[in-house]
Amino acid sequence: MPNGFAVRAENLVKVYEGTVRALDGVTLSVEEGELRAIVGPNGAGKTTLMRILTTQIKPTSGDAWVLGRHVVREAGKVRSAIGYVPQEFSVWNDLTGYENLLVYAKLYGIPRDRRKRVIEEMLEFMELKEAANRLVRTYSGGMIRRLELAIALMVKPRVLFLDEPTIGLDPRARALVWSRVLEYRKEYGATVVFNTHYMEEAEKYSEVVTMMNRGRVVAEGGPSDLAKAVGEGDLVSLSLEGDVAKALEALSRVPGLAVASAKNPVLVRVENAQRQLPYLMEALMGNGVRVKEVGIRRPTLEDVFVKLTGMTVEEAEALGFRGAAAMRRAIRRGG
Amino acid sequence: MSLARALTFVELELRRLRHDPTEVFTRAVQPILWIGVFGTVMARVRAIPTGGVDYLTFITPGVLMQSSSFIAMAYGIMLVWERESGILKKVLTLPLSRLTVVLGRSLAGAARALTQLFVILLVAVPLGAKLDLSPIALALAVLALLVGAAGLTALSILLATFMKTRERFMGILQAITMPLFFASNAIYPIEVMPAPLQAFSRVNPLTYVIQALREALVYSNPLACLQSIVDISLFSLAMIALATLLLGKIVE
Repeated sequence: MPNGFAVRAENLVKVYEGTVRALDGVTLSVEEGELRAIVGPNGAGKTTLMRILTTQIKPTSGDAWVLGRHVVREAGKVRSAIGYVPQEFSVWNDLTGYENLLVYAKLYGIPRDRRKRVIEEMLEFMELKEAANRLVRTYSGGMIRRLELAIALMVKPRVLFLDEPTIGLDPRARALVWSRVLEYRKEYGATVVFNTHYMEEAEKYSEVVTMMNRGRVVAEGGPSDLAKAVGEGDLVSLSLEGDVAKALEALSRVPGLAVASAKNPVLVRVENAQRQLPYLMEALMGNGVRVKEVGIRRPTLEDVFVKLTGMTVEEAEALGFRGAAAMRRAIRRGG
Repeated sequence: MSLARALTFVELELRRLRHDPTEVFTRAVQPILWIGVFGTVMARVRAIPTGGVDYLTFITPGVLMQSSSFIAMAYGIMLVWERESGILKKVLTLPLSRLTVVLGRSLAGAARALTQLFVILLVAVPLGAKLDLSPIALALAVLALLVGAAGLTALSILLATFMKTRERFMGILQAITMPLFFASNAIYPIEVMPAPLQAFSRVNPLTYVIQALREALVYSNPLACLQSIVDISLFSLAMIALATLLLGKIVE
């Protein structure tokens, strides 16, 4: 039994209906107190992984532990230690916010003498006090998410699982959700594992990123370390007019430059864009290539994904779309 | 398993009903027609042998169970909906045993079904149904209905784990509830049925619940009623056990 980790998974495989391979041998370790993002396109297997870790479904093969407890053999003990907010809404919208907290508090088994205090504390913490006695039906998306977080945090879980916590929220609501999650983590030293397909959110909020594609882990590391895997330095994107081949030929003569994407707009990596850009432009114009637009940026997790999988997140989703649709059908039929 | 936590699901249901009690009344329309129209007309015809009890009194327990069973059997649709939302996923990650979840939800469905007892008594008694309304009779009726409706709700949960879309669930629901009603002793004694139908009605749980309700409310026979409740509880326990075993399938 691997102790010392908040979450540990070994060779997890999940096959739906005997055909759709949602997880294809996932191994990962999350340290206690860590803030871990699991990123990847839709259909990468992030949700399936989280549902196994939160004891909802059993893996086809492989093992996983949360705080040293096996997610299948000791599911009850895992459930007592975790908080979880699913991607879809998990509150009753025909009850008030307060009633939702009350019902969940009772289901969690929070003793009567503590219930009211815990609920009040959570309403305050999540800035929902004024809306507490309104039906959830009248809440905004951000308020519903904060209510769900309030429910998950009532029992002060040591490990918090969030599946796409900010999906569909506007930037302000997203920021508020994150500030509450980070505040809770600071106060209680909890481990937070979250799924997201917003790469920039993983970069901004996580300490370690696990990148998944097609049921496998394709990369893991700190967001900035991962970005370095694409290469040190800057990325320059060149929106070209006309012959790309001619441009690539011109670029091949510039020292200290690597082509990251050969499709228009061409993406090249340089050590220092400020110093090298003039030479780069000179080479292009000298070869008769016209540049419409130039962009300079630091490498992002999107670039890491492109480098590792040979496609953009959008391409992976489009490619995986048939697979993802088949998986959803299989899940619905319940194979 | 914790009974207090299971009962929280009943509290949840009652709170939802308080915010929106529409179902109590919409579900009451059909039984009101059965008692008010069908019952009063057939009582005049005197075509159905009811063993010395007037027809309106005879069918009141039957119609009560019909209405309650429809509510209990429809409970699964809520689970289908909760499955599409995140509620069921969330509930399955709470520190609750599967048995607590199924028992709680079954009792919650039964609590919803129980509302029909009061609605139908309110209609049938003024129309002339001669019912025993003593505290013992009413308590037994509540118990019979609660145990029976909990079993039917568990059956509905079981169906929901297999029929994972609303359309499929509604389809199967239609196909089950009406036959269960007509192949029971709800509106005629089973002795007047053809033999194969009689055989079916003897394994039909509705028959036993209606029997228990008649023993309580019409015949004032508490001992016979308790015996019927024991029979019903065997069915209900079996359904709850089966639904508990298969609940995990619903989110796969």
